[in-house]
Amino acid sequence: MRESLNDILCCPVCKGDLELEITEQEGDDVLEGTLHCGECDETYEITDGIPDLLPPEMQD
Amino acid sequence: MALLDDKDRARTFYRCLSRVYDRVNPVFWNEDMRDRCVELLEVVEGDRVVDVGCGTGFATEALLEVTSEVEAVDQSPQQLEMARRKQGLDDVDFVLGDAENLPYRDGVFDCAWSSGSIEYWPEPVEGLREMRRVVRPEGRALVVGPRQPSNRLLARLADSVMLFYTREEASEMFREAGWTDVEHHVMGSNWVDDDALVTIARNPG
Repeated sequence: MRESLNDILCCPVCKGDLELEITEQEGDDVLEGTLHCGECDETYEITDGIPDLLPPEMQD
Repeated sequence: MALLDDKDRARTFYRCLSRVYDRVNPVFWNEDMRDRCVELLEVVEGDRVVDVGCGTGFATEALLEVTSEVEAVDQSPQQLEMARRKQGLDDVDFVLGDAENLPYRDGVFDCAWSSGSIEYWPEPVEGLREMRRVVRPEGRALVVGPRQPSNRLLARLADSVMLFYTREEASEMFREAGWTDVEHHVMGSNWVDDDALVTIARNPG
């Protein structure tokens, strides 16, 4: 995902803003990292460029 | 109308289906119908559109032809993997997410699109309400509904895993989710005689 995508993303559960932490990047493409919701303290993984923003109970 | 009683069923169904999806689906939903729907939504360049339940990116491709600002979300990693491998879709920011719990902020889209997805939502009104939340006031939505097979056996099989609705039920669902100016278009393909219901609505804000 592009770094700027986070400007329109939010937590799927509480709709709070997400804090992006990047562990691997290529240009402005985030390959690995996390999106953390400060409101409900949930962390969503970004794997191979795709953020997993499924509600926690639907995640594998 | 039957409701999917849990999301696991939809996920398992799609996990298996994604292997043959692009070969089977054109019988029910083809390029011609897709392009007519894009015209109905009246998207113009610069509009930001979200494709809810994008699957393998069939509609995402068509939307990208009219605007470069297309976001796409689906609950199946297998379907998304196929979508991102398609030529022309490598620049799209695909997101794993649920239609009834969209991970987008309020009012960030001009239009919301969903085709071939609502029939797998356990709570379709919730999904429609979420679509309205992420669309700006005066923005629009287009939903391509399920097409009930006229063959009785197929219909029964399909009804056990999908949701089907009539024009009246569609109007009721959209209104309950807060949409206004709800209008329907019936669309068929040359391949089969079962028609799909396409619904367009406006977000009053």
